Amino acid sequence: MTMGPRWRPPARTDIRIVEADRGDAGPRVELPTATDTRALGRALGEVLHAGDLIILGGPLGAGKTALTQGIGDGLGVTTGVVSPTFVIARVHLEGRIPLVHVDAYRLGGLGELDDLDLDVSQDESVTVIEWGAGMAEALSDAYLRIDLARADDSDVRTAVLDAHGGDWAARVAEALRARHV
Amino acid sequence: MTLVLGIETSCDETGVGLVEDGVLLGDALSSSMLEHVRFGGVVPEIAARAHVQAIVPAVHEALAKAGATLADVGAIAVTAGPGLATALHVGVAAAKAYATALSVPLYAVHHLAGHAAADTLVHGPLPAKSVVLIVSGGHTSLLLVGDLVADPIVHLSDTVDDAAGEAFDKVARVLGLPYPGGPAIDAAAASGNASAVAFPRPLTGRNDPPLGFSFSGLKTAVARHVETLARAGAPVPVADIAASFQEAVADTLIRKAIAACRLHEVGTLVIVGGVAANSRVRALAQERCAAGGLELRVPPPRLCTDNGAMIAAIGDLLVRAKAAPATLTVPVRPSVQLRWADLEHPPQEL
Repeated sequence: MTMGPRWRPPARTDIRIVEADRGDAGPRVELPTATDTRALGRALGEVLHAGDLIILGGPLGAGKTALTQGIGDGLGVTTGVVSPTFVIARVHLEGRIPLVHVDAYRLGGLGELDDLDLDVSQDESVTVIEWGAGMAEALSDAYLRIDLARADDSDVRTAVLDAHGGDWAARVAEALRARHV
Repeated sequence: MTLVLGIETSCDETGVGLVEDGVLLGDALSSSMLEHVRFGGVVPEIAARAHVQAIVPAVHEALAKAGATLADVGAIAVTAGPGLATALHVGVAAAKAYATALSVPLYAVHHLAGHAAADTLVHGPLPAKSVVLIVSGGHTSLLLVGDLVADPIVHLSDTVDDAAGEAFDKVARVLGLPYPGGPAIDAAAASGNASAVAFPRPLTGRNDPPLGFSFSGLKTAVARHVETLARAGAPVPVADIAASFQEAVADTLIRKAIAACRLHEVGTLVIVGGVAANSRVRALAQERCAAGGLELRVPPPRLCTDNGAMIAAIGDLLVRAKAAPATLTVPVRPSVQLRWADLEHPPQEL
């Protein structure tokens, strides 16, 4: 081992060393591969309506973008859904409902989401916000929060689907049933 | 001959350049990068406000360097997309104002075409065909380029998830290194062992798309490696991990870029974008292009990252090709795909 800068843990929850042991807030789904993550996204994408808000949590590499790629598939988005980190938000207009894909890591507040001057309004699109927990909930009374986690020593991810208000719980159940068909 | 003023504000750099007949006469660059450090990346509102403050002084600075005045400017070129909408608006509004005030033509150009043109300012016109690797925080793309303004630009591949520069930023976060991640990892890697950790080379398997890029899995592999050490209470060798990660990125980028040259029977590889400033990417590209008999063209770092000179370079090519100028109602196009350098009046598709 060579000498170099001393490691200090990152300030935010970029990596997971200790997982807070809170009870599951909703159905927990095992996702052995990235293909399974996308399949869950696709099943969710098929039950989405205009105005829906999905908030994605989880550390770097937990599968937030992969899940959104699946949601894009389910909505009929044909252009590639890629990481929105650099541009903060990407808008995909060619699906059944417009998809707005946001990385809120660098947003100081919700006002800045308006400042991005997106081509579509929240009412007429599906909004998926990565790193939005603790901020994006105020955008809507009803929302679906999905917390993704990586296993310690394997590629297995888990997703906890936490329905808040509206008919989210019923639609999550419908998506999970469809996923197993 | 026409002196072209180029304006670039797609991200956090306010860039202005003056080019005439392929020659860079003056340029100026103002970065709001330091203001973004505490956020770990560019914040659109901060960038836009910084552009507003910097744009006019940058124009004056570039003119002073060129020994010219506004009255000498014969055309304006501006990045109209892709980029951050709020940031693009500032440059496009300024360009329209200058074009109106000076009664000169305006050209709305594609940011990535500007990157491809940057190298012509130092190494002269591009050959009939070249492969351009654009690798930065927002892009990882292979382009097949002919005449930059007359021929369509063929997008050979893009990353399917994270851009290479984004992977540098995110791995820097995991390693506790500052933003921007590229220079921080390059510096940390200098004292590290690049073969200490065998990180994956993404999409280099037999059944993978030969020119495809994906850096999300590599980023996760680094995060997982660091977590495993941290959980075990073992020290995290930042230099070794930085060097091993950098090696994996450089190896993958150069492998794919050379594969693109072979596939399309092109003898020249051009590498541009912020990640082209990475020392290992440059060294490995030199080594492998020399071994493979390919001409390698990499502009100096200040022309690799976002700048106004490259936009003036495209504007100059458009002026010399007698392209039709844009109207003053030309919009910003934050997510426009690359097909033509000229966003407002692309040549007719054959």
